[in-house]
Amino acid sequence: MKQNKLSYKIQQYLMFAGPGTALFLAVVIVPFIYGLYLTLTSWDGVSATKPFVGFKNFVEAFSDGDYWAAMGRTVIYSIIAVVLINIVSFALAFLVTRGIKGQNFFRAGFFVPNLIGGIVLGYVWKFVFNRAFVAIFNSTSLLSTTNGAMFCLIMVSVWQYAGYMMLIYVAGFMSVSKDVEEASRIDGCTSAQAMKNVTIPLMRSSFVQCIFLSITRCFVVYDVNLSLTNGEPFKSSTMAAMHVYNQAFTFKNYGLGQSEAVILFAVCAIVGVTQVLIGKRGEVEA
Amino acid sequence: MKKRLLSIVLAAALVLGLTVGLTACGNGGSGGNVTITIFNSKMEIQSQMEEMAKKYSEEKGVDVEVYYSSDTVAAHLSTRYASNDPYTISMVDAKDVYSLAKEHAIDLSDQDWVKDTTQAITIDGKTYGFPVCVEARGIIYNADAIKKATGADFDPTKVKTTADLKAIAEKCGTGIMKEDWSLAAHYLAEVYEQQDDPDAFIAGIKDGSIKLEKDPKFIAMMDTFDVLKANNYAKDAAISAEREVTEQKLAEGEIGLMFGGNWDWSVINAYDYSENMGIMPVPNDVDDGSSEKLVGGGSKYFFIDSSDNTTDEQRKAAKDFLNWLVYDEEGQKFIVEDCALVPAYSNIKLEVKDPLGASVKEYADADALIPNYNYLPDDHYAKCGAIFQKYLADKIDRAEFAKEITEYWSTAEVGAH
Repeated sequence: MKQNKLSYKIQQYLMFAGPGTALFLAVVIVPFIYGLYLTLTSWDGVSATKPFVGFKNFVEAFSDGDYWAAMGRTVIYSIIAVVLINIVSFALAFLVTRGIKGQNFFRAGFFVPNLIGGIVLGYVWKFVFNRAFVAIFNSTSLLSTTNGAMFCLIMVSVWQYAGYMMLIYVAGFMSVSKDVEEASRIDGCTSAQAMKNVTIPLMRSSFVQCIFLSITRCFVVYDVNLSLTNGEPFKSSTMAAMHVYNQAFTFKNYGLGQSEAVILFAVCAIVGVTQVLIGKRGEVEA
Repeated sequence: MKKRLLSIVLAAALVLGLTVGLTACGNGGSGGNVTITIFNSKMEIQSQMEEMAKKYSEEKGVDVEVYYSSDTVAAHLSTRYASNDPYTISMVDAKDVYSLAKEHAIDLSDQDWVKDTTQAITIDGKTYGFPVCVEARGIIYNADAIKKATGADFDPTKVKTTADLKAIAEKCGTGIMKEDWSLAAHYLAEVYEQQDDPDAFIAGIKDGSIKLEKDPKFIAMMDTFDVLKANNYAKDAAISAEREVTEQKLAEGEIGLMFGGNWDWSVINAYDYSENMGIMPVPNDVDDGSSEKLVGGGSKYFFIDSSDNTTDEQRKAAKDFLNWLVYDEEGQKFIVEDCALVPAYSNIKLEVKDPLGASVKEYADADALIPNYNYLPDDHYAKCGAIFQKYLADKIDRAEFAKEITEYWSTAEVGAH
């Protein structure tokens, strides 16, 4: 049989990638399309009938003040958290690739928060903020003030993701070969200059990856939000994902919630893809 | 060739195995016993339910399977309906009966237990919902703590007005649950429920003919709330007080009063509690008898599935099961003793063991319960709860509070009933 014939190619594709494609279609693409269809209905999530209402849900979503307040909050939270996560994880990665004693132990240690699920982590920190800190500093809990609750959310997210991003940065550091750095030192760079002009540009792909991962995760944060603040006080720490969940399942406006989820997805995708495109453009290779 | 033969044989064996397996599944239900499935949405009684199911299966020859899910009840059931695999009996909240019954429940009007309860849910003359228990709200008191603080024996029936409450609260201290469901769905809802006609009252707020901030019941209830608020042990951090801590303080007598309901017993009994506890009505200065009644009624309802996925034998077994709960001694014991629930049936005379439940039973037997208003919109507790939390944290005053609640009602719709 000729190997460049279309039928042969299709056969090969089906044999190797067929099961994967079928699964992907079944659990991602089909539900996604069905989800898009549901945005055009006023389904309450329970009843047997799904009345078709056209784009009414999107109109309503755009005029849902609570939703956009939550979205604004999510954007602010994401910007601060993404910056902090990357600064902290880069600093950690730098420290644990310097050959200090027991650096493998530290790597493992910094990574551990990422192994604890967001829900558990939220409850643990809630205890710390509400009981431990209150007892130590004899003050009111940070979680009871609007800005304090946001601060706690950001802090816990940074703590959770820094270790994970650190691993990617560690890999980045390891991938930069020692000779280019040494060459720059011989050419007269200080270690700060070598870092700025040689190592960091060569690690660009790590940055692109870490920032992409942290942006997408921050935008759809739900678990920590649920267990740490549950939107309190006075729903002032409700993030977009939590609002969507409540809208769809708790308030039983499934169609509206679904369209708000689609908008959230679009925003998240646009931000993420733009960032990757910009980041990729300047990538260099040694 | 040999290999090929082997693979064909293997493949054939697999297919055969699958088919046999599937057929076996399909026949599972019809062989021998009838199987009924029960959906339980009351987490704290899940282990009791499972044990009861085991015993019931052995004794009655009906296989009972109990399932639990922590999902929102309606969302969970809708996935079962979507997959044509409904539970024979589902336990849901009152509002779910109104939204689900017409499509999914059978008429139970001809059942004996209907005449023995006042709490069954009837829509358009047909009874769909079997009340599992009675729950009611009021102010939970710790009589020992109050006696210690005031030096006199505490008699809850003597607390009739806000001033009476204030005199005690100032000495013994109070606690407030900051949870949105407690504030909005339980406390604020009493403002509606204690009206002569809650429907008309809410309609009045919606069309502006009733001014919430001028409503005497609203004023009276908020005056009482202010008393609780002023004497809150966590006054400076009311909004971060954790429910467990507050209930622990109440149980152990550090504070004497807290607004809540008999479901709080499942939290209180985890601590070193005082025996002399109970629930009393929320005293308020409108003289309409509401200071002598708790607010509450049936809570959690069973309904039986009406779809073709459930056979008539299963429905028959399900009805028998409901009757067993009401009329069989074992069933009664299960509700009252094993699950520590307050029965919704007047023929059940067993004594409720927990003090809060006993209080509720007393009021229920004396017909002193103001019924729940089960038709609040699904987002009422969350949105009004957030507004109430702002009031609790002193971020807004009462006029602003009333204004924001009125704004909420301008777009909200009560559920169909």
